[in-house]
Amino acid sequence: MTDRRPPVLRASGLAKSFGHVEALRQGELTVHAGEVVALVGDNGAGKSTLISCVSGALLPDAGEVSVEGRPMPLGSIRAAMEYGIATVYQGLAMAPDLSVAENLFLSCELRRPGLLGRLGLLDKKAMRERAWQLMDGLGITTLQDVTLPVGDLSGGQRQVVAVARAVSRAGRLVIMDEPTAALGTRQSQMVIETIKATRDRGLGVVLISHDLPRVLQVADRIVIMRLGRVVADLAASGLKINQIVALMLGEQDNDREESLPA
Amino acid sequence: MTTLQPTIPARSVRSRLGGLTRSTPAYITVALVALVVVFSLISPEWRFLDATNLQAIGRNSAGLVLLAVGLTFVLGAGHIDLSVGATLVLSSVVAGTVAVRLAGEPSAAGTFPNAGLALVIAALAAVVVGGVAGLINGVLVTRLKVNSFVVTLGTMGVATGAAQVLTNGANVAGIPPAVQTSFGLNTVAGIPLPLVLAVVISLLAGVVLTQTSAGRHALAIGSSADGARRAGVNVQRSTIVVFVISGLMAGLAGFLDISRFGTTAISGHSTTMLQALSAVIIGGTSLFGGRASVPGSVIATFIPTVLLAGFVMVGVSSFYQNIAIGVVLIIAVWLDQLRGK
Repeated sequence: MTDRRPPVLRASGLAKSFGHVEALRQGELTVHAGEVVALVGDNGAGKSTLISCVSGALLPDAGEVSVEGRPMPLGSIRAAMEYGIATVYQGLAMAPDLSVAENLFLSCELRRPGLLGRLGLLDKKAMRERAWQLMDGLGITTLQDVTLPVGDLSGGQRQVVAVARAVSRAGRLVIMDEPTAALGTRQSQMVIETIKATRDRGLGVVLISHDLPRVLQVADRIVIMRLGRVVADLAASGLKINQIVALMLGEQDNDREESLPA
Repeated sequence: MTTLQPTIPARSVRSRLGGLTRSTPAYITVALVALVVVFSLISPEWRFLDATNLQAIGRNSAGLVLLAVGLTFVLGAGHIDLSVGATLVLSSVVAGTVAVRLAGEPSAAGTFPNAGLALVIAALAAVVVGGVAGLINGVLVTRLKVNSFVVTLGTMGVATGAAQVLTNGANVAGIPPAVQTSFGLNTVAGIPLPLVLAVVISLLAGVVLTQTSAGRHALAIGSSADGARRAGVNVQRSTIVVFVISGLMAGLAGFLDISRFGTTAISGHSTTMLQALSAVIIGGTSLFGGRASVPGSVIATFIPTVLLAGFVMVGVSSFYQNIAIGVVLIIAVWLDQLRGK
């Protein structure tokens, strides 16, 4: 994985404080097309703040973000979407009263062809069918009805809908904040497969997860954060979990012995 | 496409078997028809079903229908607009004043030289006043980030006071009677013209709510403002839009009010907002946003007017209307919660 084009994402010098708390001091993140970058760190390390600055959900106090070399306006979710960035947020970002199909297309609704579409009428049938295809494509067999309100779904099903939405929208980069947190083993594996498929489509993927064995299974690169700073940016191959944990916790001497399967 | 698996929540099966069992408009329609049947049976010589009585019910409901339709959007978006009754009054006062100023001096026969044009401009003025009031509400709610209950409680007072200031508290007299004869009291195919207008606008509003991005975004922010924002919805704009819709409806209702009485009714609308709000909630729109039904609101609007007409006809004091509506409101929301479980 060497440089061919400008990276899909280059974020540099990002900083964000909340009152006296410096959540993010030096946020650096580079992602290339067709690459999965895992962002790891202890709670409070600044991972979510960093990706919120990239996704437009937060306006950073300093720093810049460029997408394929073009500087992106910061602090606007719509701008980030227009630059091809889609995000699965921790705690999702669903309207529980709206159906699966309605949530999948929220703010990107399909309109009817012709005059009716120009008058603003929605093509609900097309959205339902595309929703079906999306869920089917992800191998979701437990969800029978895309007209069901998202609030009626299980946590895992909602998570899968959120992942489907991000993957279907992203033109260049998908950011996933703990996408497997609410999931069982089988569904987690499905999300991992989706991440791989997304990478193989040539998109960049940023994955935040505490599930280090799974991270090592899918990531090409591991970016480790501690106390609001990026402290390491390493190729994933050959990395051991205890090395990552040591960097996350800032322990210089590698005295902890963990025997987790990689 | 896929085989059925036992993981489907039971509700989806029920909703597919019959949307009617979950549809609030269906329940409300049954209740309304039942009320009409009961009043018809107990009214002397079936007089409840007389054309004049039904027309009066229709005329009295038209303005309320518009207010309820506007509130359906606001509640669906998770907000509230307490100012609709006051906006109605302010719009009617402005429209009445405009009509009087533009209509010219009446002839000996009591006809005004410019009555037609004056009334058209008055109607536009009413709608503009309503739209501006809604815009102000929307901007205050989104920019100052003050709760919509507080903002519209404030603008309710401002609008009421402004209406009183404009006319020194007196109702506007001398409006060309054509407003009643050619519009307010007029009918097409036996249906009062104001009701026809209200129903046409309600149909359009129903399409906007269910078939356009504007409606869907309103419900999305009512369901979860943060979720909608993160999904890319422009929450500020959607919020302003629902308040403008509500204001426009109140403005038009203000003009209907003049066309009904031939004058303004500044002090006659102290409970109008509560009636419209009750109808919206009875009609199945969630007070907390996310779910809304224009047909439900429209049909539920007729419950108070039918109750009032029925009570009058069978000789029960109209005071009982308020009691009946209060009871209906609580029962309707309770039933809705039962079905939601």
